[in-house]
Amino acid sequence: MAVIQEEIIEFLGKVPPFQFLDGAALKSIAQNVSMDYYPKGMVIMKQNEPASEHLRIIKKGGVKVFITSEDGDEVVIDYRGEGDTFGFLSLIGKDKVRANIVAVDDTICYLLDKDNAQKIMNSQPVFTEYFLKSHLTKYIDRTYSEMHNKSMMYGGSDRILFTSQVGDIAIRDVVSVKEDATIQEAALIMCQNKVSSLVIYDENDFPRGVVTDRDLREKVVAKNRSVADQVKNIMSLPLIRVDATDYCFEAVLKMIKYNIHHVLVVRDGVLKGVITNHDLMLLQGTSPLSFAKDIENQHTLEGLEPLATKLNKIIGLLLKEGAKASNITKIISELNDRLVKKVLEIAEKKFGAPPVSYCWVAYGSEGRKEQTFKTDQDNAIIYADPKTPEQEEAAKKYFAEFAVFVRDGLIKSGFPPCEANYMASNPQWCQPISVWKKYFLGWIQHPNPEALLRSVIFFDFRGLYGNLSLAGELREYLIRNLKDQNIFFARIASLILKNRPPLGFFRSFTVNKEGEHKDQLNLKLSGIGPLVDLIRLFALESGIHETSSMERLHAMKESHPIAIELGDEIEQAFEFINLLRIHHQLDQMERKVPLDNFINPTKLSNLEKKSLKESFQLILRIQDGIAEIYRAGMVGG
Amino acid sequence: MFSLFRKSSGGLLAASGIDMSMPLDSAPYVVMDTELTGLDFRKDSIVSVGALRMTGTRIELGRSFYEVVRPSTELTSKSIVIHEITHSETEQKPGIEGIMESFLRFCEGAVIVGHFISLDLRFLAKEMKRIGYGSLKNPAVDTCVLHEWMSQNRGDLSSKYFNDAESKDLFALAKKFQVPVHGAHNALMDAYVTAQLFQRFINMLITLGVRTLRDLLRIGKP
Repeated sequence: MAVIQEEIIEFLGKVPPFQFLDGAALKSIAQNVSMDYYPKGMVIMKQNEPASEHLRIIKKGGVKVFITSEDGDEVVIDYRGEGDTFGFLSLIGKDKVRANIVAVDDTICYLLDKDNAQKIMNSQPVFTEYFLKSHLTKYIDRTYSEMHNKSMMYGGSDRILFTSQVGDIAIRDVVSVKEDATIQEAALIMCQNKVSSLVIYDENDFPRGVVTDRDLREKVVAKNRSVADQVKNIMSLPLIRVDATDYCFEAVLKMIKYNIHHVLVVRDGVLKGVITNHDLMLLQGTSPLSFAKDIENQHTLEGLEPLATKLNKIIGLLLKEGAKASNITKIISELNDRLVKKVLEIAEKKFGAPPVSYCWVAYGSEGRKEQTFKTDQDNAIIYADPKTPEQEEAAKKYFAEFAVFVRDGLIKSGFPPCEANYMASNPQWCQPISVWKKYFLGWIQHPNPEALLRSVIFFDFRGLYGNLSLAGELREYLIRNLKDQNIFFARIASLILKNRPPLGFFRSFTVNKEGEHKDQLNLKLSGIGPLVDLIRLFALESGIHETSSMERLHAMKESHPIAIELGDEIEQAFEFINLLRIHHQLDQMERKVPLDNFINPTKLSNLEKKSLKESFQLILRIQDGIAEIYRAGMVGG
Repeated sequence: MFSLFRKSSGGLLAASGIDMSMPLDSAPYVVMDTELTGLDFRKDSIVSVGALRMTGTRIELGRSFYEVVRPSTELTSKSIVIHEITHSETEQKPGIEGIMESFLRFCEGAVIVGHFISLDLRFLAKEMKRIGYGSLKNPAVDTCVLHEWMSQNRGDLSSKYFNDAESKDLFALAKKFQVPVHGAHNALMDAYVTAQLFQRFINMLITLGVRTLRDLLRIGKP
């Protein structure tokens, strides 16, 4: 029987809510299920018939759930496919079957009988919870921890010790000396190399032992030993080593076990480095905070360069530590902001004080503080209106050169230029505030396709450096002039409705049929994009100042009707898709391939698939609502 | 076709005490398969028995029977290659007399189903006789015979399933009817494949007007 049961356990292990159960519970279920087959078209359950005796889990195929109204109309409630269940409500309701269920394909189901289902429900709260609570809200935390678990060995606050490999940390080279060197020679080499340990090799270049600061202290100074003595007489034996692919906690374990502070790191049998307890302590310091300090300490573009690569590594660690997507993008934006500010400081130093005050603004994803790993430049300069023609000339010249310098500095610091040239170095986007107001008003009053495209990019602007009140003034101006601009809003709405999430009829994902990204879908374009666009529309309607999608949602929670009704769900969908995307990109980064936003939905776990579908359905639902609201304004749009 | 079934004679209960008027899709079945040392009825014997219970189309995965026994005749190298059961594996096992009681109990009250089941039944009868049991009382149907019957009376059923020229062995039929086949090849796994084939047949037979066990036995007798 083993094989048949293993097959069941393997299947259920990937299907919510069974996947939340432990091995013993799954095993007991596997021993109690039966299996049935329903050819396409077969009516499996009939509305108003006596309650079902089984919970059915679709192993293969799919079913349609529908109810028949009193006048005989058929109302489809749902389509369910592999990994979905049906019959739960009537099972616990003990009354009649509520809906008709018909196989829309040849369908194989596992059946769990009432008694056994009841047993699991009584002992596993997560199981009942899954069925009873509204769907998306409860998936999100579980999906999140599911993703999280992929990169986690153990729980607890020392998690990082369990997720980082020794080889990632032990970057120090091995400093060594021959065994016939004197203690003083050895100490000198340690000083010169600023290391606290030294590997001792014999004449055959075979590592024999380690000398550490502690050996010098305990065996030389305290014992009044001559520094002319040979170093091999004070070295510690034996050599304790870890493999570069071991997790850091194993190094810690060995340090504790042998009461040492240095462990040799071996990769493929070759000595590669030394890891010290100091390194491990520093590991905890690979935090955004210490990174921010690193940025502060730089005063040249050259000094900033290596930091950009380090940033991605930190994000990877944060992710492994279990940070939420919105927190990660916030931290990325915060650190990116600091880098940008530093480049601006350096530029100011080079060019001297500007003729008029200016504000450096970011927009697009940078304006929304929603950057992931891959971020290109989206920036502009708003400067104060010059008072004289001479001042105007001077400002134009100053900011033109300034902006080009900053652009190049940012490129060096790891921000690729914007392909569409939405950068301050483009004279069009380096203008006094009065021109910016004219731009904005023009886009609102004449919402042609180009104006719409620009407005959705620029209206997410945020002041980042310099005279921030200029950005504040422009925001106030925008809010004032958007009031009752229903035609503009309707145009934005119709733009939004052109980008429907890729969900097919059978609740299946619609993927690219060919090309480089065959069988994949674009998470940014099809998931995050529509959500950001919807939230922006609501934010512009509500006249709020915030630019980040999450902050916008929170600010509207009590004022905008859709945010009131669906705010939480929108937030969760946004979190979820972003998390998927960040994990995807982290994975690509670790595999050293170019980052993109394309995933193959069939590679997702059932839970992830389900959450993504729910997210897409939510978007569709809101889009339908918007279509309703703006229908009149969209005519001819 | 209908009148043919209605006319059928015989008592309500078969010799095994099974109610023959039971509808096809709620009757109890035992789907079984055996593995043999070879196909020679005089020289060979049973090495393993695998069986699953079904209620209507529902395969009760938790209720299975699988035993390897020490064959009463020699294992041949040819058979070892097929079922991968070796001498060392059977040495410690009971002879078939050690499992017969529990197997018969497992079959109680059910119609026996199998692919080319007459072969299994013949060997089973030989062993039962040898160790002093009576004959097996359960009625039996053969999925191969059922398939044959359907291909001659297929009515509205798609003709893609019934091509006379094709092989009728279990795995050819499994493939045709999209029964997934994987895992090791043993008596239980083969019984599992047969059960899934029978699952699909029951639904088809019902659409062809086969309603009761009595109908089923008429057309599916080995």
